[in-house]
Amino acid sequence: MIHPAAALEARALNLAYQGKQVLRDLDIRVERGQIYALLGGNGAGKTTTLNCFLGFARPDSGQVRVCGIDVGADLLAARAQLAYVPENVALYEHLDARENIDYFLRLAGSAATRENVDSALRAVRLPESAWARRLAGYSKGMRQKVAIALAVARAVPVLLLDEPTSGLDPHATSEFNALLQDLRAGGAAIFMVTHDLLGAAEVADRIGFLDHGHIAFEAAAAASGERFDVRGLYRRYAGAKEAA
Amino acid sequence: MIAAIVRTEWRAILRNQVARAAGILMLALTLAAIVVSHERVSSVNAERARFQAGADAQWKAQPDRHPHRVVHYGHYVFRPLSPLAFFDFGVDPFTGHTLFLEGHRQNSANFSDAGQSSVLLRFGQLTPAFVLQVLTPLLIAFLAFGSVARERERGQLRLQLTQGVRGGTLLAGKLLAHGAIALLLGAPAFLALGAIAILHGAVALEALTMLAAYALYLLLWAVLAVLVSSSLPRARDALLALVGIWIVTTILLPRLSPDLAMRAVSLPTRIETEAAIHARLKALGDSHDPDDPYFSRFRQKVLDQYGVSRVEDLPVNYGGLVMQEGERLTSALFDEFMRADYARQLEQRGIVHGAAIASPLIALRRLSTALAGADLDSHTRFLFEGERYRYRFIQALNSLHATEVKHEGDRDQRISSSHYTETPRFAYTPPSYRDVAARHAGPAFLLIAGWLLALGVAARYLAHRLERSGK
Repeated sequence: MIHPAAALEARALNLAYQGKQVLRDLDIRVERGQIYALLGGNGAGKTTTLNCFLGFARPDSGQVRVCGIDVGADLLAARAQLAYVPENVALYEHLDARENIDYFLRLAGSAATRENVDSALRAVRLPESAWARRLAGYSKGMRQKVAIALAVARAVPVLLLDEPTSGLDPHATSEFNALLQDLRAGGAAIFMVTHDLLGAAEVADRIGFLDHGHIAFEAAAAASGERFDVRGLYRRYAGAKEAA
Repeated sequence: MIAAIVRTEWRAILRNQVARAAGILMLALTLAAIVVSHERVSSVNAERARFQAGADAQWKAQPDRHPHRVVHYGHYVFRPLSPLAFFDFGVDPFTGHTLFLEGHRQNSANFSDAGQSSVLLRFGQLTPAFVLQVLTPLLIAFLAFGSVARERERGQLRLQLTQGVRGGTLLAGKLLAHGAIALLLGAPAFLALGAIAILHGAVALEALTMLAAYALYLLLWAVLAVLVSSSLPRARDALLALVGIWIVTTILLPRLSPDLAMRAVSLPTRIETEAAIHARLKALGDSHDPDDPYFSRFRQKVLDQYGVSRVEDLPVNYGGLVMQEGERLTSALFDEFMRADYARQLEQRGIVHGAAIASPLIALRRLSTALAGADLDSHTRFLFEGERYRYRFIQALNSLHATEVKHEGDRDQRISSSHYTETPRFAYTPPSYRDVAARHAGPAFLLIAGWLLALGVAARYLAHRLERSGK
């Protein structure tokens, strides 16, 4: 049964593509104020899972809900509840940060006031000197901040991230994690797809290990002390892969 | 929301130096084409008016003459160009625009630009029509090929769709943006057509119809370019596809279809036609041969009609009557060949027009040349009107020969020049707007509208696909 309070929920998802079973009875649940990291090897089904939440892939069976909205039944309403930050932040290079946010806010039907845009850029700690510069000269970390600023400006309850820290230097990663924690504190549900166990362990509340389209096991962060036993998780994950 | 999409698309183009430079060059080229073509048509019309005035003055300056000498003196008539001919020269540079009207002969039009100029003329002329028909679509394709495909490659398409925007809204924004750019590229030509509509009320409807047709054609290219970009995975593929479509629809089909039509329906050469006419003329009879069976019967009929037994006793000059009868027979023969030739040309044209299903340019050319008064119909109308005038004018002279010149000492007589210098001058009347609209503009509009409708159906499908798959 689908729980109405979940910000993001996949239940018994099955999806085959070109004769290959990509997702098998996949169950994922992310609550508000929680960061969920989905880990898995290449071809495990991470991107397909993300696409199911985004409405770009239709499962053969099972249900996908965003804030209780069935993605298959009301795609646009479901999308209105989420913000998506792709691995290569696909903003417009010919526009500056403000113009980018303004444009995407208008697409989302949100208020694109100067105050709203500036406040979001301030919230993600993008240097003010860069706001009016075209994105062509931005680093990946700066672009990600703009993408997160868009999510902030839209004030959506769900954030979907695809390999968010790949290609970021340690400082940028640390800044990015701090941003995610701010958003979580604000009640956002954050779902990230990543290869990076260490990075995930640093910021996630729960980590799911995907293997052949199925959650092999999940781990929750400890309330105190070391959040995750990373070595143990790694051994368990490698073992699960070998067993599979 | 659509306004934001349109604005962002325009910004992308305005902030791209290559696109900006290409757009400015195209606008400059269109302007240059307008100025150069207008100058050329003005000078051609002035030249033709000058020649016509010269020919008329020479005609009026003739001394008293025997009417049959006037028949052979002949007279030149020139086809004036429509004020819209600056936009589209059509067949005018190739068909000739001058007729020499004389007795016993039906001359074809002479002094075509192609016949008098270098062969370079055949490679196309810089007219506003050429720029809008051939070059502007290429720039539209160049500006729009990446509108969706490049965003798909960069991931921007998915990012936009995840904001909750409908695929249809996104596509509509792109279509509006590129449709407006297409119209902007055509703006100098549209302004020129608007000016013609204001300054030359007689062709206002033609100018406005032409404006609407070219606007639709450019919009068609904008829609096509955006939809091709929406349907293919990569911008490079979209560009290749669009260039391929451009080559086939604007270069190959318009060039190949007339060749195919010529193969399917062959036209006799001028020499073959003249040989055939000559053979038929010989069969008709020889008015100078007293034993010719046809003219012997004709003479007897005339004698019976007047109740006399000798031509010398007729109250009219028999020589003039023979000329009239000879002209009637030869003109009927010329007319028969002319109509047969025109019928074959119409068959050829039907084949070319059929190819318009695959090439909207052929439909647009049909409409454009017809509205500019520079199509085959206008040329043929000039020939037919010229021939009708020639026949009436020669028969009037033959009638003067019969009534004003005595049979005895026929060749040594002259009549007052006032008899023939006062005859009404030839004035070409172009086809009416209603006629052109029914014969050419209507079918061309239908075809372009059909293309737009088909693209509209494709757009609906592509919008749904974009929204659901981000591809």
